[in-house]
Amino acid sequence: MKHIQKNIKIGAFAIIMLVSNQAIAQINKVEIRATGLTCAMCSNAIYKQLETITFVDSIHTDLNTNTFTLFLNNQNKLSPKDFKDKVEKAGFFVGSMILHYASTFSVNANYIIIAQKTNAINNTYKVLDKGYVTAKEYKKLAKKYKKIITYTANKETDFHLSEL
Amino acid sequence: MRKTIIGCIIFLGNITQGLYAQELFVLTEPASNMPKGSIGIRSMNSMMFQKNGKLNYHQMPELMWGIHQKWMLHIQSFASSRQNGGLVHEGFSIYNKFRFLSIDDFNSHFRLAAYHRISLNNAEIHQEEIETMGLNSGNEIGLIATQLINKNALNFTTSFEQIFSSQKNAILFNKGLNYTLSYGRLIYPKKYTHFKQTNINLMVELLGQNLLGSEKNFLDIAPSIQFIINSQMRIDIAYRAALYSNMSRTAPNGAILKFEYTFFNLKK
Repeated sequence: MKHIQKNIKIGAFAIIMLVSNQAIAQINKVEIRATGLTCAMCSNAIYKQLETITFVDSIHTDLNTNTFTLFLNNQNKLSPKDFKDKVEKAGFFVGSMILHYASTFSVNANYIIIAQKTNAINNTYKVLDKGYVTAKEYKKLAKKYKKIITYTANKETDFHLSEL
Repeated sequence: MRKTIIGCIIFLGNITQGLYAQELFVLTEPASNMPKGSIGIRSMNSMMFQKNGKLNYHQMPELMWGIHQKWMLHIQSFASSRQNGGLVHEGFSIYNKFRFLSIDDFNSHFRLAAYHRISLNNAEIHQEEIETMGLNSGNEIGLIATQLINKNALNFTTSFEQIFSSQKNAILFNKGLNYTLSYGRLIYPKKYTHFKQTNINLMVELLGQNLLGSEKNFLDIAPSIQFIINSQMRIDIAYRAALYSNMSRTAPNGAILKFEYTFFNLKK
């Protein structure tokens, strides 16, 4: 029985690694929900920071939920960290970040899909790493994914994604 | 006196429970900072009444710089009409604030910051109250705690203030302990539609001081209304009045008018 369980675990790990090799390079839309603010002046501080990112074509802001939707130029090579750094420069934090990828995928080992979903939305993922979810959510996720070494390592260049 | 202050704090604490607040206060600073690379300019005008009815006008322009998301610097200049012959420049101060804790969640945060102010001022002092912002030369070091939840903010500050003995006045007490409690609430709009929409906040602040080594205290109240225009400019109107005082103070009551403009991302 133990032997079978071990094989299942190895099999699951192999699937994760396989899927990770399909993850992508180019993001064409990002939805960021910021934490720690409720005022329009604070939202404006984040907006002005996000605006400085090269290859951001336009930004749509929902002031009531503090959600910023960024539409990116198809020449961009931006990573989730580029957006997170800007939100933090404004004095706030990222509570959730959803990435929409261009349909053309290329291999990138830094993007690791650790949560899959049946009937997932095509090419849409949530970033699960520390600093990309609220502190409360990260505590739960750290327990759930404690066996994924790259997740607990919190390497800034690795991004762990969940299908949506 | 202490019982009165503690009572006021408990009362304010109780009325804010279950509510949720905005933190850009008129007379105190929140634990949050300006964005990194941003510059703010501020004009603080206070019109305080002396007991004989004479009006003291203080003009305290301030330049603020977000050096890092956790660290900001203010340089402030002090001028007043207290001496005969119109507005006279009296001194300046340098203020540093460092945010060292942030517990943020959707629509809320709890933040802690430490600050230091050093002021040099050549104004003549005719009071026991210690005030390094505009009157005394000295140092102030303090801690700020800010809780923001939805449309409500609560701010608590405590600081130690020590004045230099170089000014022209008879100093009996040169050390003071300050404490403030501020509450603010966004009252307009109920629902945001765009950045250009004017926001209105209502605030009330309690400001107290104890001269260390004495039983001398004061406690002031300062209600205010704040307009935030274009998500970039602030206009604050406040009135400060003494609730209690057993120390000598030149002009504790009066109106405050404050303007502030933020230039975002001057330095990327």
